[in-house]
Amino acid sequence: MLTRINVGPIHPSTHGVLRLVVTLDGDTIVDVEPHIGFLHRGVEKLAENRMYMQSESYMEKLDYAAPMAYSDLYVAAVEEAMGIHIKERAKYVRVILLEFQRIASHLLWLSAFCNDLGQMFTMFTWAMKDRDLILNLLQDVTGSRMFYVNMRLGGVSIDLPQNFEEHANKLLDYLEKRFKEYERFLEKNPVFIERTKDVGILKREDAIALGVTGPVLRASGVNFDVRKDYPYYVYEKLHFIPQVQTKGDSFARYKVRMQEMKESIKLIRDALKLMPEGDALGMPIKLISPPVKEKEVIVRRELPRGEGMIFMVTDKQRPYRLAIRAPSFINLSALRYIARGARFADLFSILGSLDPVMADVDR
Amino acid sequence: MKIEREELIERLRELSNSGYNYLVKITAVDYIDHLEVIYFIRNMQNKKEEHVRLDLKDGESLPTVIEIYKSADYYERELSEMFGIAIEGREVKRLLLEKWDGLEAPLRKSFPWGSDYKSG
Repeated sequence: MLTRINVGPIHPSTHGVLRLVVTLDGDTIVDVEPHIGFLHRGVEKLAENRMYMQSESYMEKLDYAAPMAYSDLYVAAVEEAMGIHIKERAKYVRVILLEFQRIASHLLWLSAFCNDLGQMFTMFTWAMKDRDLILNLLQDVTGSRMFYVNMRLGGVSIDLPQNFEEHANKLLDYLEKRFKEYERFLEKNPVFIERTKDVGILKREDAIALGVTGPVLRASGVNFDVRKDYPYYVYEKLHFIPQVQTKGDSFARYKVRMQEMKESIKLIRDALKLMPEGDALGMPIKLISPPVKEKEVIVRRELPRGEGMIFMVTDKQRPYRLAIRAPSFINLSALRYIARGARFADLFSILGSLDPVMADVDR
Repeated sequence: MKIEREELIERLRELSNSGYNYLVKITAVDYIDHLEVIYFIRNMQNKKEEHVRLDLKDGESLPTVIEIYKSADYYERELSEMFGIAIEGREVKRLLLEKWDGLEAPLRKSFPWGSDYKSG
């Protein structure tokens, strides 16, 4: 006999307002239907009715775990539309801040994920505390802890402070030590292993067919990273390896993110060494000349959750059409295929390992 | 690549057989006199992308491509909700993102906006 269980929309393990209607046969999942849209604000429509740079702060709210990554995606699209040259130092500043943002986002994920697994509080407090140190650093640079709005056309709003390099290196050394500790703690932990290994397996072909992206795709053995395959800024000059796992289970998805944080540390160190002196400031908002011609722009960025893409048709003052490809949206749509056949208790291990941010899903 | 509506399935099948196996996004643009629908498709081997475009007149429907690309599921539902395009060959029971009745296709240019908008 089949049973139907409702989960959410307000539930600690759904990472926001997500409702799941789960059909069960005994303890085995037959089907999961995600009900989304509780956070839908119509950002694409809003952007059509605002001047180009007025929308930047809207875009940050799309992903509250990594706001800077989204504002960078949007500003990059506007830059491309207007044909604005980005200053060399600004490229490095952006890469450094974005990689810090990626680590912060993955740490937030790790703490929430371990909470979902019943790995209560130790990992949660550790990861949250270390994320806080990164937020402190970003606050030193931008003056804000959550929504930075520090991307400007052609550069950033505020250059790095004088003692940034020293602070950043100190923090990176500390994080490197901590990540080793995390791994020792988690990968020898029977609860964590039991609840992630061989849970929610997504095979390579299925991952491609379902269109999943980012760490979820790489955990299934597909070597695709926008930073490598469609390089932007200065990623070509920096040394890093996209992290790929073959197994495709929850543990592989954890491992990819863990390794990615370590790669980000390498990236930041590299970028700090190579960063040239000079000016990184972007244009003041009043001096922006709008694109006159109607044209189409496609911009891709590797957001912490996967590949973000903006397709924009430009008009004189404001975007004629702005389409956002949100990584969480498509990752969440794969949930019902991955969860089929799993045990009910494993649903949150699977959902958590997909790392959806509901604001990003609903837009 | 610009194609006709009738040859959509055939062309997408050809593409997917020749290695273009990853659907990045389906989206549309409302040009008032017609709608342009765009399928972003990628070859995961050599990372090349193909953009399949087609024009739709008002009231015309689209065939579903879910047989070829499983990931089209949510994109098609989003498309039919946001632009009011009917999708042939699949039954969509429930709205995905919008939770309000009465007003349809918010991403159309004709959708009331700002002071034109009246609730209820």
